[in-house]
Amino acid sequence: MAGHYVHWGVIQISVTNLVIILAMLVVFALAIAVPFRHGDEDQDRP
Amino acid sequence: MTSVAGRTAAHEHERPTRSNWTARLRTRVGRTVPPGQLLPDRQPVYVNSWIYVFGALTLAALLIVLGTGAVLALGGPTWWHTSSTGHFVNSLHLWSTELFFAFMVIHLWGKFFMAAWRGRRALTWITGVIAFVGSIGTAFTGYLSQSNFDSQWISAQAKDGLNSVGIGAWFNVLDPGQMLMWHISLLPAAIGLLVVLHVILVRRHGVVPPIDAETTAENAAIAEDPGDGEASS
Amino acid sequence: MTVVRRTPDAHDFPTRSYDLVKEFVVALIVVAVLTTVLAAVFSSPDEKPITLSGWARQAPNDVVATAAGELAGTTTSAEYGPPYNNAASGQVLGPVELQKWAGVRIPVDSANDLVLTPLRGVGGDQELTSALATWSSASASQQQEWAATYADALAAAPDGNPAAVRASAAFGPVPVLTAKFLQLARSGGLEGALDAHGNFYQGDATRGLLLLSDGAYLEDQARARNLGGDQWGMMNETGNYPGQPWMWLYTFWYQVKPFSTSDNADAQVWALMMVLTLALALVPFIPGIRSIPRWVGLHRLIWRDYYRRPGRST
Repeated sequence: MAGHYVHWGVIQISVTNLVIILAMLVVFALAIAVPFRHGDEDQDRP
Repeated sequence: MTSVAGRTAAHEHERPTRSNWTARLRTRVGRTVPPGQLLPDRQPVYVNSWIYVFGALTLAALLIVLGTGAVLALGGPTWWHTSSTGHFVNSLHLWSTELFFAFMVIHLWGKFFMAAWRGRRALTWITGVIAFVGSIGTAFTGYLSQSNFDSQWISAQAKDGLNSVGIGAWFNVLDPGQMLMWHISLLPAAIGLLVVLHVILVRRHGVVPPIDAETTAENAAIAEDPGDGEASS
Repeated sequence: MTVVRRTPDAHDFPTRSYDLVKEFVVALIVVAVLTTVLAAVFSSPDEKPITLSGWARQAPNDVVATAAGELAGTTTSAEYGPPYNNAASGQVLGPVELQKWAGVRIPVDSANDLVLTPLRGVGGDQELTSALATWSSASASQQQEWAATYADALAAAPDGNPAAVRASAAFGPVPVLTAKFLQLARSGGLEGALDAHGNFYQGDATRGLLLLSDGAYLEDQARARNLGGDQWGMMNETGNYPGQPWMWLYTFWYQVKPFSTSDNADAQVWALMMVLTLALALVPFIPGIRSIPRWVGLHRLIWRDYYRRPGRST
């Protein structure tokens, strides 16, 4: 009936929710760290 | 009576009569976004990070949420309990919602660490926060509209929170009819409006320049004004 | 001296070609595919609702105890206050009594609306009709005494079993009324009797849900699924499905003092969250908070390519 939960002090969180939050943090870190190479390098046009 | 071509050649459309509401509205709307910036095909060179795609991902997820919601509406509120197709559409609606929130929060984190409210962009930030909170409310009414155990429990619990501050006297979470109507009409309309405003504001001001890509001006007596710049506190 | 930095106009920078529409279409495809895969692999939860007849079959003693409590005026709904009745004044935030000021806009008389009116709709049961007549002809204080006495007896009985309670005149017609109520619940007609109230169509489940919430069964089922308030339930979903992770801060406050032991916890948490939400919206204007991005420096990573360019404007 109940899913799997992680208990840590007053905190109780479902494994699924925890995975989601961790995945979001990882995606955020990757979004910032992974280079974004855009094809067209012509600049200097206003 | 002058022709449209004649008046255009004489540039008369740029000088509308002050008493013509239509002309004034057109001029006003036309100035909302700088010319060519509603759908620009160029971006400042600093727009060069994967974090920038999360606004688009959020918007895309929202469209999927709306689309799957529309399909659920075709079948009615209890369709998904008895039809496996309906159940699958419900699953699409649930997961697109989870993705919507995930992308939106990542977008928020990014915008926060970029201090994206700088340069007269406070309203962009504010409309974003209101859309975020409004989305939570919309999702909430969605959970109440499932017509299953979850709806029963969530409504039984939520009523106490809402009643405690008087809201429950008008917004009755124990009334699935009312909750469903808020979920599929009032709240999506509000979110839609906020999203449109938010995106127009982004196009209006352009993507915020990097922190420290700023000129520093020393001014003895200028009061802090987040509308114009960023104070040093 | 206040140093004011001006954020330059975004349109004053060199540009590069960027295809917004293509980016959006790709995003749409990516999200559509992700959504489809997730839906196909994980599906979505659909636990059947608790019907009143299901409640009657699974937890009959709870139904009887609840009915007795409604008649005694001791259930949660009976003692709730606005918007259902004036039995209490509700939660407060210091001098601010929003619950009371909103008024009784969804009037529910627990004893009559939740128990007696549905019972009166049952025809052809002489024993029930007679019990109802006995009840109606008694004074309010007599009714309350009968019901409260019976409710106490039930609570003292092993497993709350009405069969274990010895008959007594002190209970008046309450044992009959509650037993008949259980039968009505079992029959499957109680939702209609409660929520249609005279109409053909039902859309408003207020009465049925208040009755169900007055019992222990609904909450027992919820707690078994980690959905209880002190189980961070607001964030959770049944089974292993994703819940509502974004509710983490709202439910957090309920887990800690002073909220976890406060009679006004709901109002207090609501007020606190409204303040925090307002603060989030007004971050651009809050000194200190609005400078956190600069201090943390994550932007140096985000815009590292820009910062490395020679001759960039400072």
